[in-house]
Amino acid sequence: MARIFLREVRVDFTVDVDPPRTFKSTVRRFFRPQRRVPRLIRALDIAALSIRAGERIGLIGRNGAGKSTLLKVMARIYPPHRGEVRVDGHVCPLFEFATGFEMEATGWDNIRTRALLLGMNPKEVEAKLMEIAQFTELGEFLDVPVRCYSSGMMLRLAFATSTAVDPEILLLDEVMAAGDASFIERARRRMDALMERASIVVFASHSLDVLPQFCERTIWLDRGMIVRDGPTLDVIHAYEESVRSAA
Amino acid sequence: MSGEIVRALQLWPVWLRLGIQDVRLRFRRSLLGIAWVFLNLTISLLTIGFIYSSLLGQDLKKFLPFLTIGLVVWSYLTAAVVEGGMAFIAAEGYIRQIGVPLFVYLFRSFVSVSLFMLLNLITYFPVAYFSGLTLHYGMLWAVPGLLLMASVVLLFITIFAYLHTRFRDAIPFASALLQVVFYVTPVIWPPEALRQQGLHWVIDYNPFYHLLEVIRQPLLQAEPASTLSYLMVALLIGGLMVIAASCVWRYHQRIVYFL
Repeated sequence: MARIFLREVRVDFTVDVDPPRTFKSTVRRFFRPQRRVPRLIRALDIAALSIRAGERIGLIGRNGAGKSTLLKVMARIYPPHRGEVRVDGHVCPLFEFATGFEMEATGWDNIRTRALLLGMNPKEVEAKLMEIAQFTELGEFLDVPVRCYSSGMMLRLAFATSTAVDPEILLLDEVMAAGDASFIERARRRMDALMERASIVVFASHSLDVLPQFCERTIWLDRGMIVRDGPTLDVIHAYEESVRSAA
Repeated sequence: MSGEIVRALQLWPVWLRLGIQDVRLRFRRSLLGIAWVFLNLTISLLTIGFIYSSLLGQDLKKFLPFLTIGLVVWSYLTAAVVEGGMAFIAAEGYIRQIGVPLFVYLFRSFVSVSLFMLLNLITYFPVAYFSGLTLHYGMLWAVPGLLLMASVVLLFITIFAYLHTRFRDAIPFASALLQVVFYVTPVIWPPEALRQQGLHWVIDYNPFYHLLEVIRQPLLQAEPASTLSYLMVALLIGGLMVIAASCVWRYHQRIVYFL
């Protein structure tokens, strides 16, 4: 049974005022204890959060509120600095599609690698390869190194592959940003189907009008903390209220 | 932690694929492609072989097989530091997007450098043929030697991947150190040359000499290396394991934040 459970989870980013730490600076610091305490930015501070199978959850909040950080904690990309994270179920992260390519390798090779990394076994990959290739509509460009792709083409490749998995837990981070009009339309339909199949969906978005269609529960984050967690319409309402009063 | 290692091992199709791909892509868009592996080594062999065999009064036919193994094994070790140290940094795009255990990227690097070493090792066979060495069952003692070497390489990759992601000085620092070790280790000169000078301790206490011996001795003499060599290599592996474990323990949770 898919399930996500967080307790007292904290993620801090160290913002060094100096350039990236070197061996030399560490040795120096060892001999001469530092005067400056490294600046910490608390990216996430969640007291408790539990998501059960069947739930569809929206994440809202201003830029830098911690939405992406929370998603990355759930995806086991960011190990929290303290606290407990339990994620049961196969996770499919759909974050950004601009990185994670082997530039010199062909489109086909990149599809295979990404699919394997996302947890498909080799047999599954071969079975789904044609379907993925068709969805990208890249045709013979798949034989070409990804280095020669435009950003839209890379997006197609990564999106088609990532959405071909059968995830129990789907983590989305405002992905529909690029691609031409026809692709966006097809991508939306594919995404809807994927969300149907997944047991848990967590969806970070700024499109407040879209969220109610997908999510019955929404979490509002600010400065890494949960401000409000409840039925989507209520939370969105409160959020809009606060944005309006701030402006 | 052990759970993560098991999960990483189960993902063998990915790291095997990525490792092989790394070797394939290395010579993409070059005219001679994979031939460069052999060309590179052959050029070094001929140059060093000719100069050093005259310098040290060695018979070229006897010296070349010795030199070949030395160069192949040494570049394997160097690759472990220089390429292995980049294992996480090179995989940043994947690490930030997909939450698979980090060990996957260490294994990928291991596959890549090991495969490259095996390709290099092929050169040994024509050299051995030229030198009139005959195949013998005793040469199979090189297999455990290569496995020991591979464990050292895997540990080196682990240590430097973690260290270098944390301190970007690790690779340059280690490269400089390796260069020094290269000079005091009988890679391109025979150990007897130093023994005759009464400097045998430089060799005897050098674990890298013994690491070379467990591969070189079987291939050249068709017999296992000395017990001392195996012992020293075991000690080296033990020491590296402690260092690798403490690197993993100290930095594993923080790697993604260092990228």
